[in-house]
Amino acid sequence: MTVGATARPRPAPRVLGPIRPRPRWTEAKLLVVVAVTLLVGSLSLGLTMTGDVALYDPFGLAVYLAALAVAHLAQVLAGRRSDQILLPTMGMLGGISLLLMQRLPQDLVTNDVGGRTLGLGQVQLVWLVLGIAVATTIGIVVRSDSWLRRYKYTWAAAGIVLLLLVFVLGTETAGSRLTLRFGPFSGQPSELLKVILVVFLAGYLSENRPLLIEQDTRVGPLRLPPLPYLAPMVVMWAIALGIVVVQRDLGAALLFFTVFLALTYAATGRISLVVIGLVLFLLGSVLMASVFPHVGERFAAWIDPWADPLDSGYQIIQSLHAFARGGLIGMGLGNGLPLIGGRLPIPEVHTDFPLAALGEELGLVGVVAILALFLVVVERGLRIGAAAADDFRSLLATGLALVIGVQAFIIAAGNLKVLPLTGVTLPFISYGGSSLLVNALVIGLLLALSDKGVEPPPPPSERTWRSRLRGSEG
Amino acid sequence: MDGSLLVIWIVRILFLALLYVVLFRIVRTLLRDLRQAAREPGTSLGRLVVVASPAGEPTVGRSFDLDAITTLGRDVNNAIVIDDPFASSEHAILTYRGRSWYVEDAGSTNGTARNGRSIEGPSPLGFGDEIGIGQVRLRLERPRGG
Repeated sequence: MTVGATARPRPAPRVLGPIRPRPRWTEAKLLVVVAVTLLVGSLSLGLTMTGDVALYDPFGLAVYLAALAVAHLAQVLAGRRSDQILLPTMGMLGGISLLLMQRLPQDLVTNDVGGRTLGLGQVQLVWLVLGIAVATTIGIVVRSDSWLRRYKYTWAAAGIVLLLLVFVLGTETAGSRLTLRFGPFSGQPSELLKVILVVFLAGYLSENRPLLIEQDTRVGPLRLPPLPYLAPMVVMWAIALGIVVVQRDLGAALLFFTVFLALTYAATGRISLVVIGLVLFLLGSVLMASVFPHVGERFAAWIDPWADPLDSGYQIIQSLHAFARGGLIGMGLGNGLPLIGGRLPIPEVHTDFPLAALGEELGLVGVVAILALFLVVVERGLRIGAAAADDFRSLLATGLALVIGVQAFIIAAGNLKVLPLTGVTLPFISYGGSSLLVNALVIGLLLALSDKGVEPPPPPSERTWRSRLRGSEG
Repeated sequence: MDGSLLVIWIVRILFLALLYVVLFRIVRTLLRDLRQAAREPGTSLGRLVVVASPAGEPTVGRSFDLDAITTLGRDVNNAIVIDDPFASSEHAILTYRGRSWYVEDAGSTNGTARNGRSIEGPSPLGFGDEIGIGQVRLRLERPRGG
C-alpha cells in the first residue's frame, strides 16, 4: 500500500482535479483526415459552382476547421480520458452539413446581424461552431452526473412544463405547432425534451430495475411486470399521442416512444414489455389515422404518393426523384437540385430533406457512408454504456446514443419512403439551431460519461481510484 | 473543356473515396477497441467496491471481482473477508441468478442492509446499489469494460 492511501480521506468529491495535458493522438489523426476530406469536398464544390480551381467559401470552412482544432486542443489540455472517436465523427457530419448549406440557395434562411445579412451557410456555420463549443465544454466540465441522477422527477416536471408551454404558446409552422418564441429567441423544445426523457427514464428504470425484473403479474398467457410499474408506460403512451394530437409532430412522438421501448428493454430484458408497447402503438396509430385527418393524410401520402402528386405526395416524390438522379456515385457536390421555375424542387430541403440532397449529389455511396457515421455514434454510445459503472450511467449512455440513431433512422426512412414522412431533423446535418445544439449536448454528455475517471456518487477520491487501477493492472 | 470536366470528376470521386478513408480509419479504431476489450479478463459478472470501511480491512476503494456465488464475512474462508467488529463470521451471500444480483443474509448477528435498510430474505440488487455489513459499505458495480 502506498503512503498516500493511508492519509486521511478527502471528505468532499473533487470538482477539479490537477489539470495535466494528455495527448489524444487517435482524435488528432482522425481530425486530420476529416479536414483533408472536407477540403477536397470544398474544392469539388468550388470547381462545380464557379468553374475555378478554388475552394468554395474558404473562410467558412477555415472557421469550422479551426473550431474543431480548438475543441481538440481544449480536450488535450483538460487531460480527460474521454472518447476520441465522437468528436471526429461529429466533425465529419457537421462538415458535410456545412458544404451542403453553403451550396444551397443562400436566401432559404437569412438573418440580419449588425447590419450584415447572413445567408444559410453562414448561419449554419455559427450554429455548428456553437455546437462544437457546447459538446467540448460539457465533455470537459461535467465530472459528476448527480445533477442528472438526483433530480430526475424535477427534470421530468420541467419537460412536461416545456411541453405544455408549446401546447399553449407555440407558434405553428407548416401545420405543426413546434416552435416556441421568446422575443428574438425561438427554438423547438421537442429537441431538448428527448434528452430530458432519456435522463428521466435512465433514473426511473435504474431505480426500479430489480422490481421490474423480479415480480410477475399473470394475465392469461402473458407474464407481465407488476401492474403499478406499467403506469409510466401508459403515461408515456398518452404523452406520445398527445404530441401527435396537439402538436401534430409525428416524428417526435415516434422518436420518444421508440427510445422509451428500447430503454425499457435494455433495462429489463423483457420482450413482453416491448410487445405490449408495440401493440399499444399500433392501436394508437390506427386510431389516430382514422380520427385525425392530418395523420391519415401522412399515411396516404406514404402508401401512394402518386395519388396526389402535386400536394400531399409532392415532397416525397421529389425526394425519390432526387435519390434516383443521384444513382450510385451521385452528380457531384453542387451539381444536383436543378431549380424549377427559380425554386428548389424540394421546399424544405435544408431541414427535412438534407439526405435527399446528399443522395442526389453524393449518390448511394455517399449516403451509405453518412448512415455508417451515425452507426458509429450509436456504437460508441452503446460501448460507453456497456463499460459504465452502474445502471443509471449505462442506461443514460445507451439512451443518448439511441436518441441520435433512432432520429437519424426516422428521417432517413421518411426521405426514402420506408416510413411515413415526419418532420424530425437529421442530427448534425439539418439546418437548425435547436437541433444542432441539443445533439451537441448529447455528444458532450457521452464524452463526459466515457471518461474512465468519473465515478458514481459518492465518488472515491482520485488517489484511491489510482491505487485501484494499479491493483487491477498488476 | 474535356480536361476541366475530367478534373471535376476526379475531385468528385476523390471526395467520396476520402469519405470512406475517414470511415475506414474510424472503424479500424473501433475494432481495435473491441478486440482489446475482448482480450481483457472481463468475464466477471460484476464488481464490489468498498465505499466505507472504518476498520481499514478491506481498504476503501478496493474492488472485488464477483463469482456467481460470493460469500462475505469475518471468517478467512469467505471470498471477501470483512474484518469489522460488527460483522459475523458468515455474514452474507451474493448470488447471481438469471438476470440479476441478489443479496441474502446468512444468519448474521447484526443483519445486512441494502441502501441503508435492513433486508429480509434474498433481495434483488441493482448495479450502483450499496450493501452494508457492520460498518462496512460496499457498492455493486458493473464489470469493467463489459
